[in-house]
Amino acid sequence: MSLVSGPGRGGMTDARLPRELRLFVDKHVSYIQSLDTRKDELEYWLTEHLRMNGLYWGLTALHLLGHPDALPRNEMLDFVLSCMHESGGFGAAPGHDAHMLYTVSSVQILATLDAFDDLEERVKGGRQKIGHYIASLQNPATGTFAGDEWGETDTRFLYCALNALSLLGLLGLIDVDKAVEYIQSCQNFDGGYGNRPEAESHSGQIFTCLAALSIAGRLDVVESDRLGAWLSERQLKNGGLNGRPEKKEDVCYSWWVASSLAMIGKLHWIDGDRLASFILNCQDPDGGGIADRPGDMVDVFHTFFGLAGLSLLKYPGMVEIDPVYCMPLAITKRILEKPDVNS
Amino acid sequence: MASHGVPRISGSQVRSEQLRLKELQHITEYKKLVSIVNLKVAEGQYTVEVLTLTTQLLTENAEYYTIWNHRRRILEYMFTQLPNTGPTPSNSNQNIPNLITGDLRWLVSLLRQLPKCYWVWNHRLWLLQKAEALLPTTAAHDLWHGELELVGKLLSLDSRNFHAWGYRRFIVAQIVRISASGSASSQSMVEAEFDYTTKMVKANLSNFSAWHNRSKLIPHLLDHRQADKTARREMLDAEFSQIQAAINTDPFDQSIWFYHQFLMSTLSPSDTRHAAIALDFTRQDQLRYYEQEILGIKDILEDTRDCKWIYEALLQYALSYFKIGGNTQNFTTTDMQEWLSNLRELDPLRKGRWDDLERSFTF
Repeated sequence: MSLVSGPGRGGMTDARLPRELRLFVDKHVSYIQSLDTRKDELEYWLTEHLRMNGLYWGLTALHLLGHPDALPRNEMLDFVLSCMHESGGFGAAPGHDAHMLYTVSSVQILATLDAFDDLEERVKGGRQKIGHYIASLQNPATGTFAGDEWGETDTRFLYCALNALSLLGLLGLIDVDKAVEYIQSCQNFDGGYGNRPEAESHSGQIFTCLAALSIAGRLDVVESDRLGAWLSERQLKNGGLNGRPEKKEDVCYSWWVASSLAMIGKLHWIDGDRLASFILNCQDPDGGGIADRPGDMVDVFHTFFGLAGLSLLKYPGMVEIDPVYCMPLAITKRILEKPDVNS
Repeated sequence: MASHGVPRISGSQVRSEQLRLKELQHITEYKKLVSIVNLKVAEGQYTVEVLTLTTQLLTENAEYYTIWNHRRRILEYMFTQLPNTGPTPSNSNQNIPNLITGDLRWLVSLLRQLPKCYWVWNHRLWLLQKAEALLPTTAAHDLWHGELELVGKLLSLDSRNFHAWGYRRFIVAQIVRISASGSASSQSMVEAEFDYTTKMVKANLSNFSAWHNRSKLIPHLLDHRQADKTARREMLDAEFSQIQAAINTDPFDQSIWFYHQFLMSTLSPSDTRHAAIALDFTRQDQLRYYEQEILGIKDILEDTRDCKWIYEALLQYALSYFKIGGNTQNFTTTDMQEWLSNLRELDPLRKGRWDDLERSFTF
């Protein structure tokens, strides 16, 4: 592995750390800034359906790295609003259909940019519109949420709904108790959760269920010792985390598993230093960005979730992340602690 | 944008000018196709020609969810225009059954390439639900049954595929639902599915997806068999003896230990909302099973002293055993201290957890 011998110049924290523990801050910042300029690569066009998520990943990563202004605010705002539909939902890019996955990313971006007032200025009653779109996707009988009008249901969408609505101060639009009941019906003997009742526990789905329960104020229904044990066994000898028993490690689980452990107060049940080294080893020290595993191709998804993991592990110099919202903690505090005027 | 397992190309291996031009050409063609499809759909051209263009585009990029929506809009329109019965001699492609089966066939090849693409699975379910609503009952039922075979094939290619297992459970539930009015074949689905998990774990003890599904099927199976007290205990004993054998085969495999935990969780009344096997357990029964399992696991220590799972299980079960009133005849708190120190040595990654565990020792 030659990853640690690259020419990366790194940020201000680097000088105090041994070389193999360096985070190449400047490289990651330029990598993220370059993402929207790669229009001569086919991949850029093939991933248009992820543009909105990509913007949320990139923007939040920059905040965590302490470079919140590295992307132009107005352009981001224009882009996000150009993806809004009459229904109140957002698509992945202009011309793409509305879906929960992009609606939550849009709300998270607007929240991070402190742009709820801009939204109201440009779209009269914008917040309420978004809120009603999301609320319309709840199934009143089961409490769960569809991703869009075509009806796929998954605990991911339930989390997206609670995340976005709570940021908007509009949780009152949905039946939170029913949603909590649904999550409980997805719980397995190992304490984990699947994407639906009877589905196998999966770290990604566990994150969505725990975060949704956190927002609902109902972590009391979690079997945290049993779940914490299962989650802690996701750490492999190389320090990385996997998503299910007997699967390979992957940087993105640094977030799904570690944030879940953090939400139930058991982040110390894994070796944080070993995990941090694993993530740092997945960096591309030349071009910036983080990959799923050491030596692999980087992408903005793994870059973001790797950085989110490092922030959760309190890597020196990084901005602290909120394990529930997967956004900078200072931002969620600012929004959630505001007296709620809209509900 | 989310690449998995693709090796990184070093900076020196940049694209040649020729490759770059080829890629630019590809981009131009791709963007042209995208704009044609979007334009024609916006104009309401719900025709066979546009449907074919969506096939072309989705074959190139199955993640483009809006195009799946367009495809469904076109199909929905066509369904309202066409007969819903079998092939007509004059124009065999133009009927609903052919449209649906043609689409299902195409999706099989996509699923083989992209077994983890949510949108492909999603479209397949939509087609089957449409088939049920629009086709004669027997034709729709045949389609649901055919799916079981397909998902079996996909699981033989990747026996842990999360999507495929979920799809399998959904298909089984649909078959049971549509045959609820009578046929005996649906009633035995739970038996067949249980046998399927047996086959899967025998092929690979590490297949936790199969163990998981087994844990969900057992309560249904017992209800279906109308199992009495004896039959329920026999089931529990058979499962315990199978998993003890598996532990003896490979104590380093965590899937097996999690399934063992599942069986143990069925012993305690507080856990019965997850699953129940035996329903009439007294405190004495519980203690007896705890002793049996703890002693069984302790026996493995004779040959295998370097497997952390053994100590982890012993400690967990010993604590529960004391909690329900067990005594120190079979093991002592000194044994537990020793297990813990072995565990610390073998598994330093989870040191914080072992610290908490030690604090929970109240003796």
